[in-house]
Amino acid sequence: MEPLALLLAALAVILAIPVPKLLHTARFRTRSPWATMLLWQAIALAGGLSMVGAPIVYGLSPFGSNVPQALSTAVRLTLDEDYSAMAGLQVHPWHLFCLCLGLLLGGHLLLTLARTYARVLSARRRHRQLVDLLSTPAPHGDHGAETQIIEHDAPMAYCLPGRTNASSITVLSRGLLNTLSEPELAAVIAHEQTHLKQRHHLLTMAFEAWYRALPWLPTTRYGREAVLELTEMLADEGAMAEHSREDLLRSLALSSSEAGAPGAGSPEDTKPLGAGASSEITGARLQRLLVPARPLSRTAVTGLVSASLALLAVPTGLLLLR
Amino acid sequence: MASLGDLERSVMTLLWDSGQPLSANEVCEQLDDDLAVTTVLTVLARLEKKGMVQRERSSRPHRYAAMATREEHTVEMLNEVLGTAPDREAVLARFIGGVSDSEAASLRRILG
Repeated sequence: MEPLALLLAALAVILAIPVPKLLHTARFRTRSPWATMLLWQAIALAGGLSMVGAPIVYGLSPFGSNVPQALSTAVRLTLDEDYSAMAGLQVHPWHLFCLCLGLLLGGHLLLTLARTYARVLSARRRHRQLVDLLSTPAPHGDHGAETQIIEHDAPMAYCLPGRTNASSITVLSRGLLNTLSEPELAAVIAHEQTHLKQRHHLLTMAFEAWYRALPWLPTTRYGREAVLELTEMLADEGAMAEHSREDLLRSLALSSSEAGAPGAGSPEDTKPLGAGASSEITGARLQRLLVPARPLSRTAVTGLVSASLALLAVPTGLLLLR
Repeated sequence: MASLGDLERSVMTLLWDSGQPLSANEVCEQLDDDLAVTTVLTVLARLEKKGMVQRERSSRPHRYAAMATREEHTVEMLNEVLGTAPDREAVLARFIGGVSDSEAASLRRILG
């Protein structure tokens, strides 16, 4: 079992440091956000599993030749307080130390996930209470009953996920309604409703918790930022399925906090949209809206999906192998 | 029959607009709807539990006041939406997420 522990440790290190570092700026992410999102989710799960699994497998190594059997032997010997049998198996204090380390790390990750989930949920509940008391439903029937308007001059839009899609709402400010035209507004609402429909808040939750649990690991921040960026790209795609790219771009330009200020955005040099126009824009989300990226080839997408599935299957399979 | 949520909103609006503590009876009189005082008391109790109103126990009957002004609550909401602290939980995704102010300004120039 020692080679297996070593293999898991290597996988844990690779998935925790170089992979997120490379992936969070990888060019292909803008060409297929959903396949990249799948890969990130697989990396988080496989990374966590191998990080926790490596010390546990090492700790269990004297007890047997595979994990399930070694685990049952270790539990039996511990409960029986059979120290002579343990000595016979050559159990070193290091084994016990690593076993405890793995269990503590696993507990820490799960508890942080639970705590993050509870905190985010209660913050959203409180926010929802305020929205319910302070906002009014949007007058237009076509936007659906789940669009609320708050009285504030800053142009902004966001969505507030509820337990079900029916209890989720999109919130728009009065300032946004005054700034945007009808088709631009419809594009914003479609963007927000894509977030809600695709349950993006669940895809980001694990990364939020991952970051909270291991803030000293710089790559947990990369993962969190990358996944948030991907949800925005996916929501943009959802909006563009029904609305024009121009409307979406215009609404993005006009809903920044500066846009409402007088004198902002001087309409001097108007360039045609497309290559060149985006040279001063560095953010990937706007870049791909200005110069639409060619979608990844079918082969590349299949490769990304297979890599994700392999990442999930390999550590799980190694741990359960008889 | 208005829903509890609608009633909560109209009671809060009344308390915010009046700017002074009101008893359940006064709330009941000032609301146009034909409401029972017990209903108003239920609504006020719910609002108190949510931390939206404060009950003054010194007077009889008890008077209720808004914990904060409408503007203060709006600011509380906006801080959550606009909050830029890097390690804040991503409770909400803003529409403009991932787009910096300078990028938006460049975009406005491009779009004309």
